[in-house]
Amino acid sequence: MSGYLEGVLVLLAINIVYAYAAFLPIAAGQLNLGIAGFAVIGGYFSAFVSNQLAVSPLLAIPLGGAVAGLVGLAVAVPVLRTRGIYLALATFALGEMVRAGILNLEVVGGAAGYPVTAFIRLPTIALFTLGVVGLVWLLFSTRFGIAITAVHDDERVADLMGLNVRAFQVAAFTMGSAIAGIGGGLYAHHFSYIEAQYFSISLSISIVLYVLFGGTQSVLGPLLGATVFTLLPELLRGSAQWRYVIFAAILIVVMVVRPQGLVTGTQIRRLLGLRSEFDRKEQAT
Amino acid sequence: MTGPDPILIFDAVSKHFGGLAVIEDLSFSVRRGSCTGLIGPNGAGKTTVFNLITGVYPIDTGRILLDGVDIARIPSRRRIHHGVARNFQNIRLMPHLSALENILIGQHCRNSGFLGVLQPVNLIPGNRWREEARAALAEAGLAQIENATVGSLPYGLQKRIELLRALMAQPRLLLLDEPAAGLNPAETDALREDITAICRDRGITLLVVEHDMHFVDALCSEVVVLNFGRKIAEGSPDRVREDALVREAYLGTAAAEQTHA
Amino acid sequence: MLGSIYAIVGVALTLSIGVLKFLNFSIPGLFMIGGMTTWVLIRHGAPWPIAALSALAVGAAASLVVERFTWRWMRTAQEFVPLVSSMAFLILFENLAVAFWGSELQSVPQLFGTSDWRIANLVISIPQLVGLLCSVAMIWGLSAFLTRTRLGRGLRTIAEDSNTALLLGVDVNRIVPLVFVISGLFAALAGVLFALNYRQVHPFMGEALGLKGISAMVVGGMGNIWGAIVGGLIIGLAEAFSIRYFGADFVDISVYGLLLLILIVRPTGLFGDARTGARA
Ligand SMILES: Nc1ncnc2c1ncn2[C@@H]1O[C@H](COP(=O)(O)OP(=O)(O)OP(=O)(O)O)[C@@H](O)[C@H]1O
Ligand SMILES: [Mg+2]
Repeated sequence: MSGYLEGVLVLLAINIVYAYAAFLPIAAGQLNLGIAGFAVIGGYFSAFVSNQLAVSPLLAIPLGGAVAGLVGLAVAVPVLRTRGIYLALATFALGEMVRAGILNLEVVGGAAGYPVTAFIRLPTIALFTLGVVGLVWLLFSTRFGIAITAVHDDERVADLMGLNVRAFQVAAFTMGSAIAGIGGGLYAHHFSYIEAQYFSISLSISIVLYVLFGGTQSVLGPLLGATVFTLLPELLRGSAQWRYVIFAAILIVVMVVRPQGLVTGTQIRRLLGLRSEFDRKEQAT
Repeated sequence: MTGPDPILIFDAVSKHFGGLAVIEDLSFSVRRGSCTGLIGPNGAGKTTVFNLITGVYPIDTGRILLDGVDIARIPSRRRIHHGVARNFQNIRLMPHLSALENILIGQHCRNSGFLGVLQPVNLIPGNRWREEARAALAEAGLAQIENATVGSLPYGLQKRIELLRALMAQPRLLLLDEPAAGLNPAETDALREDITAICRDRGITLLVVEHDMHFVDALCSEVVVLNFGRKIAEGSPDRVREDALVREAYLGTAAAEQTHA
Repeated sequence: MLGSIYAIVGVALTLSIGVLKFLNFSIPGLFMIGGMTTWVLIRHGAPWPIAALSALAVGAAASLVVERFTWRWMRTAQEFVPLVSSMAFLILFENLAVAFWGSELQSVPQLFGTSDWRIANLVISIPQLVGLLCSVAMIWGLSAFLTRTRLGRGLRTIAEDSNTALLLGVDVNRIVPLVFVISGLFAALAGVLFALNYRQVHPFMGEALGLKGISAMVVGGMGNIWGAIVGGLIIGLAEAFSIRYFGADFVDISVYGLLLLILIVRPTGLFGDARTGARA
């Protein structure tokens, strides 16, 4: 496999992981604009562990995810009291704060970045990605997935039906943070080097964009969104800024003509042959 | 006035929204196994009574006893566990879920532990909870819309799914807010027969808000009449109809119905 | 001084939040457009007042384009969609600027010579003073507009409840573009002031400043115009303080820490009242 192809695929795999990190809270109606912050926590922590304790990345990376998840849990509880835009802003502030904090943390190199000794290649990364996607997919085929959508659709009614709305939101947020941490760990161990500057708000925003582009109502949405947005720029020739221009323009247009994203739950059910009589009638008319 | 064996007792309940007294010192009770109508002109506070029972809003003063337990002190989320389920005057299904999944939401209160939440309802076709929900849909003759996204279904079907969702909680007390609104006479009759049979077979007590007086007459053995948040009459539908206060409250809106009935 | 620029960006953001409940991420982009346009025109020999006025016009026009593609279509769509589209506009504006003018730091020529006034020990630079006066005037104007005129009151009705506003016959489709024009004007004004005072512009200048503007808005209470101004000054002060006492490295930690703390402890901000929305 050529180095170029491997590079693109690694990026794809990591972006897919990030996309699911953003997807979980979004599916529950919460916007996390601090994904990069959680990725940076997971990345640095796993790198630190594998450097200092000579632990295998296979262990260090999930550990980094767990720490990011714990931080997520610690902020979710107070922060999820605030709603909608306040939450988005709080996560954004958190992400920026974490990044600024690590830039000043000399143990891990501060602004100079942090070299990582252990190295993982595409197969390992792909395995992690498959694991994350598989877990999220499993989770969403349980009652949990239905409950998350219910909480997203109508918090009040979900509460009256006996769902613990806050618990579901905190759970989704925490799991998303943990997944972001895993993404950060993968990044650190593949590129042998991690730099807090890279994990900026722009990264968080692009990740959210993947998910909204792909669709927030089905587990396939983030996969599709991340794939399109990782591969599209590679296919487009031309300079970086024009790629971004095209990326943004496509996004704006998609949001206008298809605000629900590319794939929806209804389509998935149709695809699986679960079309109902009613859908057929609907299509016939 | 407390009838024999009440399942629900409203005891001197008041509710204000800002300066507006919406429910004032309201007391009434619902007899176990009965079908009680809650009627009154628009804005009388009927939906608010439901919202207070289910905990959408906290009450200001008073008590709401469900089988002797003051549910007004229980968080809204826990009340369905005590056996009270409802529908909504304006349908409130989860638009992004399929019909079947909406019904599955109705089961949540019977299955809300950690393992319950992780039930793989959409993974294993023979899952017990999934099959139960499918059977309920099939029994209601809705098997063919199982996988339709509810947002796209017509109004009448959505209403039936919402009723099914409430029933899936296996409530002791079912609160129905204008179940017949928007249905044609044939559908209304079918609905009434369904509700009667279900409540009788499952021992559910029904408290129903409805403007259609024929529907109330045929369904309910007792009626409580509200006006401006106060109880103005109660008793059998016939008795209530003769009540002077009720006639006055309805004058102009349902007066025609009163005279020809 | 930087505090007052945060404040103006904060005003632009808060107006959009207060009236439309829309966190408009394109505003940092409009700020950049204001600054870059000023630089481009001055470089081509335009006198600075012309350059400044044109920059304001370009900012307002760009904001109208944003309105067309975010708000106009998506009032009914999923909640995050306008937010996302406005982020896409930020990316679009920034990279268009890179495509045309490159990503280097560009410097705006010194226009005013050494025009500092000295009053006792105080040093006041004329551009700063003019900028400050301009912004105070514009903010007064905005506030008067919101309280005194019919259109302004209509705007505040929308802020309270857009359905009621429709019932009361407020023409939402006519007023909403107005909100975008005003916030575009303010964002561009901040950009012009930045370009003239700090004499440096580049395509990504909006990001850091926009983030500080958001902080200013939150600290002051979303939807509260005077709150955003006070918030901007507080953020400016917090920055100056942490540079002084903890060193420049800790600026971001303290600013974002402050923001996070306020969001957790008092999400409506210091002066905000979540129920009233936009207040003049
Ligand atoms: N959340 C609320 N805030 C303020 N006022 C409310 C609220 N909910 C209800 N009200 C007021 O309480 C009064 C009673 O409302 P309610 O919906 O209970 O009437 P209703 O009897 O169900 O009427 P309808 O037959 O039209 O459904 C109305 O005047 C209504 O405006
Ligand atoms: Mg009602």
